[in-house]
Amino acid sequence: MGVPYVPVLGLVGTDLLTRRDDMVLAPDPFDGKTVSVVAKAMRPDVAVFHVDKADRHGNVSCGYPVEAVILAEASRHVIVTAEEIVDRLDEKDATGTFVPSILVDAVVHAPFGSHPAGMTGRYAPDKVHMEQYVAASRSDAAFAEYLKTYVFDVGSHAEYVERFVPREWQQPLTEVIR
Amino acid sequence: MTVAGDTMVSLEYSEAELMTVLMSREVRDGEVSACGALSQIPATGLLLAKELHAPNAELIILNTVFRPFHTSRQFHFLAQRGELGLFFVSGVQIDGHGNYNLHQIGADPERPEVRFPGGYGGGMIYYCARRTVVFRTEHTRRSLVERVDFISAAGSSPDYVLRLGNPSKVITPKANFRFDKDAARLRLDSIHPSYTLDEIRENTGFDLGVTGPVAATPAPTAGELRALRSVVRPKMIETGTYAAWAERSIASA
Repeated sequence: MGVPYVPVLGLVGTDLLTRRDDMVLAPDPFDGKTVSVVAKAMRPDVAVFHVDKADRHGNVSCGYPVEAVILAEASRHVIVTAEEIVDRLDEKDATGTFVPSILVDAVVHAPFGSHPAGMTGRYAPDKVHMEQYVAASRSDAAFAEYLKTYVFDVGSHAEYVERFVPREWQQPLTEVIR
Repeated sequence: MTVAGDTMVSLEYSEAELMTVLMSREVRDGEVSACGALSQIPATGLLLAKELHAPNAELIILNTVFRPFHTSRQFHFLAQRGELGLFFVSGVQIDGHGNYNLHQIGADPERPEVRFPGGYGGGMIYYCARRTVVFRTEHTRRSLVERVDFISAAGSSPDYVLRLGNPSKVITPKANFRFDKDAARLRLDSIHPSYTLDEIRENTGFDLGVTGPVAATPAPTAGELRALRSVVRPKMIETGTYAAWAERSIASA
């Protein structure tokens, strides 16, 4: 929307308001009396989200209905990772939400980019890995170990896929169209 | 026990079936009624109401085929416009002031013992839906408390705050509570079959707000159970609406 703040009906009296500084109470500027919450606009520097297909211009087919457009509109820069890069994608070709290239800065080919979560229409969540993740999240030490194994000690996305995505899911990786 | 009808129906019911029937009774014909994601019991209650007394109710059951749109932006603004008649929501803790907690448990908010999904939607919808029914499948002193550890949605608000609707009821497997808006307190409304006032008092962490005798909740009727088991259950299985849960939790006709 581009506005600096927006009124929201509700939330008054919740501990969300006591614990956040981006939502405050403010009187209605027209009647001067009625109070409601005013939320500060979010303006992320960068948004990154994973989709089903993208073309080289940055047109995106998310693969399912998702709130990607408001995220892309709100953010100064938008990086999209995609299961598949196609030559040309129009709104009529899109499955689910379409994001036009004018909102997108960069497209990255990243098959299995949702792993260990799932990708609608392509693969289900990796339950075994998810259980490891949940177990690791119980302590800072275990989580640091998780990050070391699956993030910091992995040289590239291709290496991650090779080592951690279940073998039976892996199809030949689609070549990036340049 | 069974009664005669088109088909014989057992009048024995499970806790899930009871709560489903009680929630269906809250739905009004012609209104927009909704429940969130991961809400099997109210979803079933909504579908049951549509088969019984509310054929013209418009249902929004998020993340299922029973929803008019796909984005939470549309749902958010539908609620903000005041178009929701009824919303069902659950809380980990519910307190005597009509607040509920879906965020975290623990005395120190900086170091919670357990964290839950939390969320912003419930605290917003509590003000927007004309009626919100809060439910909890556990009726104990740890779930029904005098004060929640974290207020995710506030039961009452000052007069100068814009508010379109209020909590309406709390439904548990043992009793119904109604929200007294003037006193900003929950009050015991009715006790489900087989429970006593003493049992409710023993298992509730806040004052029940009753002086005289308390009404008994009417048990699920043969008609309600028949529609639930022979119409709603197959419909849920066919449409993939909490199908596995329906198969497990609702008796087959």
